[in-house]
Amino acid sequence: MKLQSFLTFCCAALVFVGAADAQQNKKKKRKPRAVLAIPKVEKKDIICFALYTVDVTTLKLTAQLYPIPKGESKEVRLEIEQDGKWVEAAKVSVIEQGWTAPFRVENWDDSKSQKYRVAHGTEAFYEGMIRKNPIDKDEIIVAGYTGNSIQPAHGGDISRQDLIDNVKRVDADVLFFSGDQVYDHHKHYAAWLKFGRDFGEIIKDRPTICLPDDHDAGQPNLWGESGKVSTLPGAADGGYIQPGSYIQEVERAQTSHLPDPVDPHKIGQGIGVYFTNLNWGNVDFAILEDRKFKTGPAGRVPKQGPRPDHIRNPEYDPASVDVEGAVLLGERQLKFIDNWSQDWRHANMKVALSATIFCGGAHIHGNANGRLHADMDSNGWPQTGRNHALEGLRKGFAFHFAGDQHLATIFHHGIDEHRDAIWSFCLPSIANLYLRWWDPLEPGLNREPGAPDYTGDLFDGFNNKVTNYAAANPEKKPAGNVLNTRAAGFGIVRLNTKTREITMECWPRNVDVTDPSAKQYTGWPRTISQFDNYSPPSWGKLGELTFDVENPVVQLIDAESKEILYTVRARGKTFVPGAPKGKAFIVKVGENTPDTVVSEEAKVGGEAQTVTLN
Amino acid sequence: MTQTKLDRILLLCLRLGAFFCFAGWTWVHFYWQGPYGILLWQDTTYAWVERFGISWEEFVGTGANDGLIQKWIHRIAWLYLACSILSLTVRHKSHLQMAALIGGSVLLMGLAYAKYLAIQSQFPMFIEHGGQMLIPIILVMALVFGVRHRVTVRTAMAALIMTFAGHGLYALGYHWPTPAIFYGMTAVILQVEHDTVRIFLHVVGTLDFVVCIGILIPLWRRPCMLYAAVWGFLTALARPVAGMSMSLNYWGADHYIHEVILRAPHFMIPLYLFFLWRKPQENEGLQLAAK
Repeated sequence: MKLQSFLTFCCAALVFVGAADAQQNKKKKRKPRAVLAIPKVEKKDIICFALYTVDVTTLKLTAQLYPIPKGESKEVRLEIEQDGKWVEAAKVSVIEQGWTAPFRVENWDDSKSQKYRVAHGTEAFYEGMIRKNPIDKDEIIVAGYTGNSIQPAHGGDISRQDLIDNVKRVDADVLFFSGDQVYDHHKHYAAWLKFGRDFGEIIKDRPTICLPDDHDAGQPNLWGESGKVSTLPGAADGGYIQPGSYIQEVERAQTSHLPDPVDPHKIGQGIGVYFTNLNWGNVDFAILEDRKFKTGPAGRVPKQGPRPDHIRNPEYDPASVDVEGAVLLGERQLKFIDNWSQDWRHANMKVALSATIFCGGAHIHGNANGRLHADMDSNGWPQTGRNHALEGLRKGFAFHFAGDQHLATIFHHGIDEHRDAIWSFCLPSIANLYLRWWDPLEPGLNREPGAPDYTGDLFDGFNNKVTNYAAANPEKKPAGNVLNTRAAGFGIVRLNTKTREITMECWPRNVDVTDPSAKQYTGWPRTISQFDNYSPPSWGKLGELTFDVENPVVQLIDAESKEILYTVRARGKTFVPGAPKGKAFIVKVGENTPDTVVSEEAKVGGEAQTVTLN
Repeated sequence: MTQTKLDRILLLCLRLGAFFCFAGWTWVHFYWQGPYGILLWQDTTYAWVERFGISWEEFVGTGANDGLIQKWIHRIAWLYLACSILSLTVRHKSHLQMAALIGGSVLLMGLAYAKYLAIQSQFPMFIEHGGQMLIPIILVMALVFGVRHRVTVRTAMAALIMTFAGHGLYALGYHWPTPAIFYGMTAVILQVEHDTVRIFLHVVGTLDFVVCIGILIPLWRRPCMLYAAVWGFLTALARPVAGMSMSLNYWGADHYIHEVILRAPHFMIPLYLFFLWRKPQENEGLQLAAK
């Protein structure tokens, strides 16, 4: 009898496992997993794609190659077409770990478009166009993407042709891939080649900014903690799961074509940094690394949920997780932002690009109703670091463009009061692996007429002040597997450097954005002014300034503390500076740098002033 | 040492192995969360649950409240706690307790299966849990048939082979990629570069397979089991050694200590086999010395 009982239990166990396996297998048959392999290519096709940026007079271009067979030359050339002939501009040996060929050409003339080709041997050529700097255009178009899953289970395996076609239709000036270009945690190279096969056609002809995020680095979440080694499943202890050499390869592939880092000192495990800025078409883009220096929460903050990075307890004290010493961007980047926000040479507008937004931008996580009070993977934590970042960015009236959340949103951020800092647009995923919803339990305050309950002035789970204007929530119960029911898509930001207007567009997949009948997600498009990025409701106006030159740079400095309140390029010949009431400000003005003091004691409600610079 | 005393030690190895394994997983379920989300939180599971008239929101929660999934995942902790206690109290004729322990083994199988699915169906992930999944059954077998019974011993050997083969496959990176955490822990503990870590993992991965083969060769068995016990303990200990720090809350103990405890079968099963295969003359010598 005993043996019989034992056998019965064993059978039950087998039935359980077998049934569960059958369920899974049944699913697998319907939706097989993506197979990532490095295809064998002909000699002539050994160059997969190429990415580039031009900053002032330096062209940086990285060619991505398939593995070069043994015995063949590792030398790769960059050639520029001049008077109908190809002239060699640079030559490098390919870096075998990742098969990248990073070129650098100094004294580049960005006033004209030039054809280029990457060459290997006598058979392999890859052609593209280095565009001229579009400083004569009024509108700079940035097409943005995030979350490039290739898994069939949620539609990730379908063609990217709709994305390619739309970039061509709007003729985007810049491409921005905010992160998770690669979801495979072990085979970045193979996945990066696939990314190149999918997007190379549009990347080769325009400046492209890629930010490697957590999945690119081979882990589910990333708190880089200056290059520490992570040893906790889930990586919430901070640091990198993959070896330093793997991360170096990822960053070489995705970021070596970006302008030189402003502070190139390496972090732990020999991992480099790439935070920098790109000035293109009179728009100054700050390229930030919001993961690399960030502290991991495990063991640092009191446990508030089933995971060290998730807060499930709505009764918790948000201040308890804002622990001393927790870093978000880190001192080096904050210093960079401070300098960048003051530098308006060749720039009418400023845009900050990073992996994700500076708040907890979702309430429900996963493929069902997994409500989290707060998620420390977002840039809402640590709150002090988040506020420092926003304080720096608003000093330059920067607009923020980011992704990662798998949920498109528009937020106007607040620090001391609602809406006193910058605006952000979080991109929808190309293919949405993991669903999230913005769904506050209480309706927002001060909503626009007719706006959904989830909009308005709210607090995120870390008690950060946020004002939501749009959220492309996917359908609920149970989530469908069609791309559009999963709120997949892409974003377009139109930066009008003349009117200083910023228009955010959020498109679903498989639409023609030039078709008048094509519809964006609810809440888009939205147009704001550049000056909305630092216009707290409590502020008043100083006296109007009238200049003898167009578009001078204006800087306000607190007369008492001598701290810079902001620096911005005015539009036209007049400017009415906003400022806090009851304080005095030094006002400085200049054509490109604010080097002329025009007032020592400017106050809200002060008199108009005429400024002569020439 | 008499045969009876030795048998008690053998049984104690299995008891402690099962107890610590269940206790570690109890902590995971109480303090953190069991890894069943991938099994339960999906359309096919809901389709089955729906037959009982349970709505989607009852199943997964309303958003503001927990649903059946969250509640029951948490409640599973009590089953693990019960199994932990039963591992210590179960006796030769406690049929109900034995049945419950076999149920505990099924729970562990479900858990291992969920982890296997969560990591994209990597075969080594499932089989490396062999020691954990089977130790309650081995304990019951030891009580029912005896600690030296052929069925008990062979099941223990199978459990050990599963665990070490799983680890070995991962360490060698054969077909399935080596978990990056293996590299990280080794690099942090030994303070060596990536290339050295890779060589080290290849060596220890090969030794894992030497253990799997050595257990089948009578002459090699005991040294292999001694190595397996030491190595099983060290790999379990590697988690807190690499991760704990004085700068963390509770030194990070709540994140890492259970990782050692729930891996007790990885070193208690080899220890059981090491003592089991003591040479008879050693036993006799010990008995004489005792007299």
